[in-house]
Order: sequence, then structure tokens, then C-alpha cells
Amino acid sequence: MMGLLALVVAMPIIAVMLSWLLPEHELWTHFSENLLSSLIGSTAILLLGVGIGVTLLGTVLAYLVVMVEFPGRKWLEWALFLPFAIPAYVLAFVYLGVFDYSGYAQVWMREALGLPGFDIRAGSWAIILTFVLVFYPYVYMMTRASFKRQKINLIEAGKLLGAGPFKVFFKISLPLARPAVAAGLLVTLMETLADFGVVSLFNYDTFTTAIYSAWGDFRSIEVAAQLASLLVLVAFFLIYFEKRARGQAKYYSANVSNIRPYHPKGSVGWLITLFVFGIFMLSFAMPMLQLSIWAWGAFADEWSDNYIDLLISTSSLTIIAAMITVIIATTLALPGRCKRGSIWLKGMVRLATLGYALPGSVMAVGLLYGINQISVVNVYFGGESINHIIYGSIFLLLFAYVSRFMAIAYSSIDASAQQIKPVFTQTARLLGASRMRLIWQVYLPMMMPGILAGGLLVAVDVMKELPATYLLRPFGWDTLAIQTFELSAEGLFERAAVPALMMVAFGALIMMVFRYLDKKSYKAS
Amino acid sequence: MLAVDNLSIIYNNNKVLDGFNLTLEQGEIFALLGDSGSGKSSALRFIAGLDSTDSGSIQLDGQQLSNHGKHQVSPEARGIGMVFQDYALFPHMTVEKNIAFGISKQPRIKQKKRIKELLTLIGLEGIERKYPHQLSGGEQQRVALARALAPSPKLLLLDEPFSSLDKNHRVQLVAQVRDILKQTNTTSILVTHNVSEANTLADKVGKILNKRLTIK
Repeated sequence: MMGLLALVVAMPIIAVMLSWLLPEHELWTHFSENLLSSLIGSTAILLLGVGIGVTLLGTVLAYLVVMVEFPGRKWLEWALFLPFAIPAYVLAFVYLGVFDYSGYAQVWMREALGLPGFDIRAGSWAIILTFVLVFYPYVYMMTRASFKRQKINLIEAGKLLGAGPFKVFFKISLPLARPAVAAGLLVTLMETLADFGVVSLFNYDTFTTAIYSAWGDFRSIEVAAQLASLLVLVAFFLIYFEKRARGQAKYYSANVSNIRPYHPKGSVGWLITLFVFGIFMLSFAMPMLQLSIWAWGAFADEWSDNYIDLLISTSSLTIIAAMITVIIATTLALPGRCKRGSIWLKGMVRLATLGYALPGSVMAVGLLYGINQISVVNVYFGGESINHIIYGSIFLLLFAYVSRFMAIAYSSIDASAQQIKPVFTQTARLLGASRMRLIWQVYLPMMMPGILAGGLLVAVDVMKELPATYLLRPFGWDTLAIQTFELSAEGLFERAAVPALMMVAFGALIMMVFRYLDKKSYKAS
Repeated sequence: MLAVDNLSIIYNNNKVLDGFNLTLEQGEIFALLGDSGSGKSSALRFIAGLDSTDSGSIQLDGQQLSNHGKHQVSPEARGIGMVFQDYALFPHMTVEKNIAFGISKQPRIKQKKRIKELLTLIGLEGIERKYPHQLSGGEQQRVALARALAPSPKLLLLDEPFSSLDKNHRVQLVAQVRDILKQTNTTSILVTHNVSEANTLADKVGKILNKRLTIK
């Protein structure tokens, strides 16, 4: 039963892979001859640039915050997480709105300084910088945690052997943190690969935009699926790369120390503060301020009853998708009797949780392709086409959300399930508890913190999800994310700031609800 | 009455315990000594029905629980209680709920009465509403004992129940547990590697030596 559930969740991925069994030749040839090589090139440049950028920025910030004492360190350590609250495409349109040819930064440069204007969309530097500022928190978060776990005496040993701060960083701290850096890098590259909003706003061609073009411009779901399958291959490759970079080593040690080895002298400390604060300003404070200014000015024009519908559809999709995802993930993660030995089940869970490595566009295309094939088979046997029923409902969209975000919910819930020692199960059984009672009274309450955390993460992600929503939403189901994207795609940045800020507020609200529930569930344990 | 007949335990294709036979009268307390890896805990887990092995039969009060290594009655239905080394109290339940877990089918009033009775027995009145993490190790262990005793098991298994406690508490608790088991007339098997613990608690002490059980 559980294996079947996992299989259903994995369906979009399987459908995409199966598209090669019934390939579409003509259009595919057109794509592969004219577009493929430039797509691979531009995607590779993007990944390379973003990869180098986030690795540098993320590790340096993490190192400074953990190992060096500088003014304002304490609150900057937490402030650097805040960019997580803003969706990538929102930051992108803020940067565009400010630094574009008609944005006031460039206008001021031309008029006050007499410098020539430039096209921010030319080349790849601007989009790479944007992605770096959006995604550095992934590397920062994981590397910071790893630095924190490093034993202080390792560093002191290095210092006693005469290594300076730079040598300690490169020879001791960084190699020890390598698995964490790799993990953060992996998430960043996956997110970059999956991104639809930022690349569209910058008119930058990647695999994801090609998939949309195949489906949107050429109406070929087959070619879209074939392109999507290449993306799946890249994702597999990235996962493999991360596993290798992580290696066999276990670098963690449990003892956490709060002693900071370096106390830079006077002005150096302030320079570090300036740098870290600058990153915080660029990646969070200034965009938020800009959004608020725009939203303040445009609110009266932009607000309409339409927003009530947007809020209703956004919140209902978020709640329903988070609930379904959490229920399935919990079912899969429950400690079970048959689970331990079954390779088939383990493989299925692996496949079902691959979704996070895959762009929402792949999910969407996989579903559209799968449904289309089912419909074709149905018509072949004299039935009716079922396309119109499916396309008109939110079923496919919810399916895509669940598939895409299953991994986040599962890893959080599974981690809490792993902490239930077998002895609890045995005790309960010896006290005569049935399997049902075991699940309801022992497993679920003990897994509750993980279930809540998983639900929160899924909810935040669903709320701001763009690529799958864009393809699969039925008429009348626009979300705040769609509204933000469509307005900013037309360059209406001031107006786009209104739904964008609503999303940030929505995220904060989800966070507060979660904290409240979490406190309640922790009271017991 | 408990009868264990011809039980063998195998680790990694290696027989560590062979031809284990044991008979216990109602209310008798037996202590099983042995080095780690001697299969004493596995024997206990087999009697509880948690693990299986290739040979061994168990009869309890005339009912055949296991026959030739196969379990006929599931752990849920055996009426055997067990206390583990790390207590395994459910962390999300109060003391009261923990103790009531095995008697949930009884009417509320009866449950309340039984909980009170057991808390008096273990000398911890008034802690019904506390959570396990608010108790000391010794208190947790006594609550675990009360929980196991609540359904009045036909047999109680104690798997190294005192080994996470410090020495002073242990000596005290061992004597107390013996009193409790005698008062409730509970047939019990204690697994331990501590000789004085075994001698204080049990009526009968056995030791596993060279794969064989010898009873003193």
C-alpha cells in the first residue's frame, strides 16, 4: 500500500522519462538542432557563475559570523537568514526595477554622473549576481551550522602550530565544512535550474524556459516532456556530484563552543561589519524598503476585490496542498514492521522524494504528458477525451505541489520518526496496543514536531510556487505569486510590489501559526 | 507457571545459547546472569515474543505461547510485561497516561483507582500529572515498573532495569522492587550482569556459562 502511494507521487517523474518511448521527431529535431547547444551553454554559464558566487559569499559570511568577533555580529548572524522570506522572482523584479535602463539608479548615473547607460539583461553577470544574492543563504545556513560544530581545539591546535586566520580557514575550517558547502551548493544549483520567474524576467534562456516555449509556443507536450527529461538527468548528475563531494567522511562532532578565536583590531572589525551589513542591506533590507515604497504608492490603484479572490485561492491551495503532502509523507515515514527489509519500498520512497530536486516545470509537464497519454488511450478504446475534465480542476495543480514538495515534508517527518526507538514500539505492543493505537497514541504524537515543521516548509513553498502554478492553474485560480509575476513581467514593478508584500506577510503569518502550534506540542515533551 | 523448553539463540550464524530450559512457579523471581553477548537479553525478547529464533517452546499458565521457535501468540496478547534498561516511558504522556496505557479498556474509575494503587506501591504518590522528563532516573524506572504491572501481567521481564542508575540508588531500588514483586506475587525474570543485584532480588539465580544455563 505504502509503496503504491510512493509510486503515485513519483508519477510525474516517471511520465517524463517515459516520453522517450513515444518521441515526437520533427519538432524535437528543430529544438535539438537550433536551440539545444545554446541552451546547454547558457544554462552551464548560469550554474557555474551562481555556483562560484554562492560558494564564495556563503562560506565567507558563515566563517566571519562563526569564527570572528565583530560589532553587530549577533544580530547579523540571524539577519542573514531573512532573504529566505522573499521569493527569488520578487528580489529579481526589485533589482530590475531599480537598476534597469529606466530604473532610477541608471537614470541618476546618466544624468548626474554623465555615464553611459547599459542593458542589465545583456550577458549573464546581472542575473548571476541576482541569483547569488537570492540563494547565498542556503550555503550560509549549512556551512554556518558546520562551522559551529567544529571543535575549537582543532582550530587552536592550528593556531599553536603558527597558522594565521587565512591558513586556518583554508587548511582546517573549510576542508572540514566541505560536505556542508556541497549540500548548500546542491540546493542552490537545483533551485537555479528549477527557476522560472527570475530567468523569465531577465529574458535569459535556460532549459526551463525552453520547456515553456515547447508547450506554450509550439503546443507540443511531447517535446516539453523530452526536454524535461534532460533536466531530470542534470538533477541526477548534481545529486551524484554532491554525494561524491561529501565523500565517506563524517566530520561532525557534537560539542559546540561559543568561543570565537579571532578578535580583529579596531578598524578591521568595522570593515567586516560593513561588508556583512552591506550584504544584508542588498539582499533584504533595501529590497524590502523598495517594495514598501512602491506598494505604498500603488496600493490605491492596485487594490481591488480581485485580491480577495487571490487571497482565497492562495490560502486554500496552500492549506490543501500542505495537508495532503504532510498526510502522505507521514504515512510513508511511519515506523513499520514491513519497512525495514523492503528494498522495493525504499526505492519507491527515494523516487517519490526526488521531486525536490526537480523543477516545478518538470512536475507540471510530467503530469500534463501523463494525463494526455491516458486520454489518448481512452479515446483509442472508444471513450471520450478526459483532458477537459482534468485541465479545468485544481487536481493536477495539487498533484504537482504534492510531488514537488514531498521531499521536504518527508525528510522533516522521517527525521522525527527515526528518533522513535524500537523500544517504544515494543513496550506498547507488550502492553497490548493494536497497530492503530500505536500509530495514534505513540507514533503521531512523538512525530508531531517533525510533522509541523514539514507542514510549515511545504506551506511556505506552495504559497510562493510559480512554475507549476503558471502551467497548471485552472481558470479563476490565480495566486498572489502569479499576480506578482505577471505584473512584474510587464514591468509594472510598483503594482507588483503589492501582491509581493502580501506574500511576504503571508509567509510571516504561516511562521507565526507554526511557532504557536510548535510551542503547544513541545509543552508535552 | 512458566516453562521454557530447549531455547537456543543464534548470533551471526553462531550459537551463543543452547538448550535453555527453565521452569518458574507462580510468584517466583528468577535472575539470569551472563556476560554481554551471552544471549540473555535475546532469550528474554524471545519469551516476550518480540524476536524469533529457530528452537524453543514456551508455556505460560498452561497456554502454549511459542512452539519450536515459532510464536503462536503475538506480544500484544501474551499478557507479559517488560521493563527496559532505558525505561521507554512515552515522553509525550504524563505519568498517569503512561501507567494507564496498558489498561485503557477498563472503565475510567477503575483505571484511576489502579493508578493510585500502583503509585502508592512504588512510593511516588502525587506525581500523576508530571511528565517523564521531570522525574529522576530512579523515579522513571519505578514508573516504568508500575506501567508494566498495571495490567497484572502473568509474567514480568526486567531487562537490565537498574544499569542506568548510580550505585546508591540502585541498591535501594533493587530491594524496593523485590518487595513490590513479592507483594503483587508477580512471576519475574531479571536479566543482569550484576551478581549482588541478582542475589538481592531473586529467589533463584541462573548463569549462562559456555552456552549453557546453570541454576544455583
